[in-house]
Amino acid sequence: MPVVYPHPKFIIGRDGMVFSSLPFLFYFLPLALFIYYISPNKLKNFTLLVVSLLFYAWGEPIYIFLLLFSAAVDYLHGLLIEKYRKTTPFKAKLALTSSIFVNLAVLFFFKYANFLVDNINHFTNFQIEALDLPLPIGISFYTFQTMSYSIDVYRGVVPAQRNPITFALYVSLFPQLIAGPIVRYETIEKELMHRKWNAEQFSDGVRIFTIGLGKKVLLANTLGALWNETQAMPPNELTVLAAWLGILAFMFQIYFDFSGYSDMAIGLGKMFGFTFPINFRYPYIAKSATEFWRRWHITLSGWFRDYLYIPLGGNRKGQWKLYRNLFIVWGATGLWHGASWNFILWGLYFGLILAFEKAIGLKLLQRIPAFFQHIYLLFIVLMSWVLFVSEDMNFGIHYFKTMFGFAPLWDQHFMYQLYTNIILILIASVAATPLWRITDRKITNSMIRNSIEWLIITGILILSTAYLVDESFNPFLYFRF
Amino acid sequence: MKKIINIILFILLIGGLSIANFMKKDGAFSEFENRPLAQFPKFTIEKLIDGSFTSQFETYMTDQFIGKTFWTGLKAKAEQTVLKQENNGVYFGKENMLLEKPEELSTQLKKNIDFINQFQEKNQGFQLTVSLVPTSIDLYPENLPPYAKTGKHMEIMKIVSHELNEQVQLVDPLEHLKQKKDEPIYFRTDHHWTTLGAFYTYQAIAEAMDFTAYQFEDFAIEQVSDSFYGTFYAKGNDHAIPPDHIDIFKPKKEVDYEVKADQKPILNSLYDDSFLSKRDQYAYFLGGNHAKTIIQSSVHNGKKLLLIKDSYAHAIVPFLANHFEEIHLLDLRYYNASIQQYIDEHELTEGLILYNSPNFANDNSILYLKY
Repeated sequence: MPVVYPHPKFIIGRDGMVFSSLPFLFYFLPLALFIYYISPNKLKNFTLLVVSLLFYAWGEPIYIFLLLFSAAVDYLHGLLIEKYRKTTPFKAKLALTSSIFVNLAVLFFFKYANFLVDNINHFTNFQIEALDLPLPIGISFYTFQTMSYSIDVYRGVVPAQRNPITFALYVSLFPQLIAGPIVRYETIEKELMHRKWNAEQFSDGVRIFTIGLGKKVLLANTLGALWNETQAMPPNELTVLAAWLGILAFMFQIYFDFSGYSDMAIGLGKMFGFTFPINFRYPYIAKSATEFWRRWHITLSGWFRDYLYIPLGGNRKGQWKLYRNLFIVWGATGLWHGASWNFILWGLYFGLILAFEKAIGLKLLQRIPAFFQHIYLLFIVLMSWVLFVSEDMNFGIHYFKTMFGFAPLWDQHFMYQLYTNIILILIASVAATPLWRITDRKITNSMIRNSIEWLIITGILILSTAYLVDESFNPFLYFRF
Repeated sequence: MKKIINIILFILLIGGLSIANFMKKDGAFSEFENRPLAQFPKFTIEKLIDGSFTSQFETYMTDQFIGKTFWTGLKAKAEQTVLKQENNGVYFGKENMLLEKPEELSTQLKKNIDFINQFQEKNQGFQLTVSLVPTSIDLYPENLPPYAKTGKHMEIMKIVSHELNEQVQLVDPLEHLKQKKDEPIYFRTDHHWTTLGAFYTYQAIAEAMDFTAYQFEDFAIEQVSDSFYGTFYAKGNDHAIPPDHIDIFKPKKEVDYEVKADQKPILNSLYDDSFLSKRDQYAYFLGGNHAKTIIQSSVHNGKKLLLIKDSYAHAIVPFLANHFEEIHLLDLRYYNASIQQYIDEHELTEGLILYNSPNFANDNSILYLKY
């Protein structure tokens, strides 16, 4: 009898309102834009705050209070930190510590308490009852954002925000609320207070949002179906090539899912007058793991760099501390992705590779042809995704075994999966590189260029609607975070 | 200029569809999908908090979306364009044939066989026959897309014939049907078999159950529909596929029937014409699924058959009804009372269990045989 492995937990979860859903596209978004644009300028922030809270309430009505609590706590801490920053640094530091403590406590309690309890029960004789609270949507994102605010106020990078509505809007701003990018207060401080509308920004927003929607609905979901079929099989019954094809599909799924979602957030931000930072820059074209992490989830790695790695001393305090810091930062990065050992392992795996690259790897890599550097990076990344999907360690072990030859090479089912997905994989491969962008720039006739853009926008909107109307399969990968 | 057109496109498509959806009158029932459609959910704070409002709203929007057939058809086209050979679990086969993607076998199969064995042991002397019918994928593997999964019938039958108590007769109509596969024995757009397929299986069953089947010449064949789009069509959404037609076999010899399904009024026909104008035309046979259907015929031979079945039986009952005074169809998916008691109460003389094989392998209601 086949053993059915549990569905990775990060796919399940209380659904919030997903951008790539019919209720969002054909109810919430048009209404939100309409109400926002008819509001008088003075009320726009308030309107957007209400809209954002409604958006959050769609998935998590109760946790709205947690969100508001978090906002209130950081609002007050910000004021305190600023008050004492110049006069009594000790008190400012105390306020900062308190702010970070509250944020981490909230995050820990809701995201990691169960994990801790499970592990205590597993390794000792205790029988502590788990709380089994559902994970509040977006908690990993908004706690990180508010922490960056407190720290930046403390560092004097930004002044504290005195208007509670403006601050609450920063914390709950719906485009980036549930899956990033992690927007620092500093980045949108001015826009929170004065936004100017212009057609170009809105039109960019439409383009970026639509492309993100297409990435999510047309590529991530469809290739996700292939991965779903693969992971539903016991990994020791897969063939070698099917295992490789499966994890390749996941590699595309997670990229298009996450970067598509970031694009949609950035696009929506623009429609409401905000400029969010870019979150992905074609990570799969990197030539080393170091470069990959400069292109993958940029706002997260930037956060860890500025608020953890550098305060720990970065690479400036000697070899030993450098490796210690890498270990801490990558363990934390892994843990941030989910309360499970495989995520920690996944983070440490990258920590290890980055340490290797820092020590000798990058120099070695430069000596081999670029082609092999790409192969090296893609291999590293594919392996990392196996760790990422293996919440059940046995699954991972068997999956690796199958990939590395402890199974038949292929069977007819692999052939079926291959030819029925090859076109999607080719499209995905091209879409994961800047090839289109480069080609587009070469088209000098602006009429042709524009027409192509209009066609693409119309095509993606219509096709995505068709898939959403048909599709029951629309899981969202990032609610776990 | 470029900017403005982007914005206009967005407003036209997103805004236009939103308004169109808002204005559109909600439907109550989809003939196409043969099911009631979700309605605008009632809003209560409790429902919002436990998440049911949200999920109901999502279902409502998907169910009621304007131009749904257009969108699902477009998605099917897009899938075919990128060489996908299936849509929503249905393979696009050759010869305009849609075929169901088979599920992997589960432990349920062995449990179900065991339920039958236990039933047989408790009812010694009650002659029991089991017939598991293959589905179209088992008959027409050559119509499958290259490298697609093949049917599970043979695998299922191997296990069944090995595990099933020898006291129980087993009829596997696969070989009979294979010989007739050039004839339309299965629907192309539906998961059922046709009357013709049922006719050939009826002959095989008659042999096993020891009665003399009528021959082809004994029936007048009548086409009752040429516009049947079945369940596969509704899932696959390839609108280029032509409809099926439905034939029935009327015995030339005069036989009267009385059909009593659940609490419904008694019918004097094995067929319910009202379904021919609906989407689910297969329900024309016996008026679809009921927990209990009793058929009394004008054949007075004292033989009373218990028929434990899924909907495949509906096409074969019109033949069997010519050989039994009474047939009692129990659908265990809906009929959950004691079977043993039922047999005693109605003095049934023999039993037939008839399912299509993948359904038998996965159905978890066969458990009710125990009671």
